[in-house]
Amino acid sequence: MIYEALGFYSLSLFILFFAYKTITVPNPVHSALYLVLTMMGLAGTFFNLGAEFIAGVQLIVYAGAVMVLFVMVLMLFDLKAELRSFSRGLLSGSLKVMASALLAGMALGAIKNSVDPAGLQPPAEISANATRQIGVLLYTQYLFAFEVLGVLLLVVAVGVVAVSRMKGGTHAKH
Amino acid sequence: MGSDWFEFTVNFIKMILIFLMMVQIVPLLVWVERRGSAFIQNRLGPNRVGPLGLMQLLADAVKFLTKEEFVPARGHSMLFYLAPIAAMIPATLALAAIPLSVPIHVEAFEWLGQNWGPYVFKFQGYDFGIGIVFVLGVSSLAAYALLLAGYASNNKYALFGALRASAQTISYELAMGLSIVGVILLFGTFSFSEMVTAQAHALSFSFFGQPVEISWLPNWGIFYQPLGALILFAAMFAEANRLPFDLPEAEGELVAGYHTEYSGFKFNMFFIGEYGHMLVASALMVIFYFGGYTLYPWLTPATVSSWFADLSPTKASLFTALVLHVVLLLKIVVFLWIFIWARWTLPRFRYDQLMDLGWRKMLPWALFNTVVTAIAILVMRHQWGQ
Repeated sequence: MIYEALGFYSLSLFILFFAYKTITVPNPVHSALYLVLTMMGLAGTFFNLGAEFIAGVQLIVYAGAVMVLFVMVLMLFDLKAELRSFSRGLLSGSLKVMASALLAGMALGAIKNSVDPAGLQPPAEISANATRQIGVLLYTQYLFAFEVLGVLLLVVAVGVVAVSRMKGGTHAKH
Repeated sequence: MGSDWFEFTVNFIKMILIFLMMVQIVPLLVWVERRGSAFIQNRLGPNRVGPLGLMQLLADAVKFLTKEEFVPARGHSMLFYLAPIAAMIPATLALAAIPLSVPIHVEAFEWLGQNWGPYVFKFQGYDFGIGIVFVLGVSSLAAYALLLAGYASNNKYALFGALRASAQTISYELAMGLSIVGVILLFGTFSFSEMVTAQAHALSFSFFGQPVEISWLPNWGIFYQPLGALILFAAMFAEANRLPFDLPEAEGELVAGYHTEYSGFKFNMFFIGEYGHMLVASALMVIFYFGGYTLYPWLTPATVSSWFADLSPTKASLFTALVLHVVLLLKIVVFLWIFIWARWTLPRFRYDQLMDLGWRKMLPWALFNTVVTAIAILVMRHQWGQ
């Protein structure tokens, strides 16, 4: 128990530190690499909490695929224009503050509305059959949400293809 | 890690030994690669240093350690040092999660005036409950080493190599993951050792609900999943950046690709990472499709332990594990040789051919394999006429 708590707090510090670095370093590639470390920390936290399957999927999907794409695209583009667009003007500054306030409010609301974890009982047998249980739940109780998420991803993919086929692509000047 | 100091120490030594096994197999593989390629191309290869040129490995090691250490002046020196380390970590972690033989059961014994045991030592670095997902997860991180190396070098060739590597890894990872789904469905488990246990008896399946058993064939995954095995093996070549998929380091176009600026031991660490990947890939092929550390009908845990029936249970368990470990190693060596053989036989793909193969051929076929396997399992295992 004490080891789990130690692991949890050290991993949390790890995640918070690298998340902070992600949003403060000026170089976008470094920022993406810090985000990768944050994702790995998240996977470690899941593993530490006994959710081994989710930890593995976190590694494969976010750290292994999504972030590789991020880093690759960041290296591929000439980022001088993007660096300049991180302007320090009053309007964009206030927009940034508003966006972060909105995000903080949403996070607080989510925490306030969630179930108190102290009242939850851990299931008797987790690690042995957790993957099977996740699969059964996804395809019975949460089937609709699961399929809707799939459709959402499809919409995003179609949208990306449509945007990239526009004249000038995502860097269109007009 | 363990409940007392004995178990803790043994587990710790075991982890180090498995890591050293990966590192030490690299010089041998380099030797096999150089001599093997020489024989394939009708030359002699390195044969001057020591018997059969085997001491060439030591000479290479000395060369790697004494070369000038070089960091590009305008590169990112921190990331430049980080990349070779990142190259070794995924293969090491993945190998640690693969069971290399049956667990060793140690009976309770008395030593140094204390009672110890009984213990069960798994023949692997660390047993993650979801072995397959973990191995896929950590080996998907291998792309970062190449990306970091290419970016930190501040060299156009290196950057091109890194970009190609990441595009290739992402493209082939999908096909790789999907090709394994068939095997997972078939054996119904995410654990490597359960998968091997399922393959340690005679070929038996149900044909439209009727049980069929063929006693002279082992219950290997290759008999059910030939397409999955082929796709996985091809994708493994791409993941390990071996010819015909070695576009990230294509010598003719990119000097040496992502490791253009690396010399000495840092270059060697990329090398160890690549060969470690080959080792993990071969081990996965053997465990998924070729019976792992068993060889039905001669060498299964039951038959091998019956050889040592008159020894004490601890010794019998230890020797059984060692014999089965040798079985696994021999099978892995066969696949490692196929890796080397293919490298000196096939020409490199063109870049568009590579992408075409990954997205338009292997991915649809892997999807097809998954769907057909699922339907076949449903139809075949259904109890018809009841």
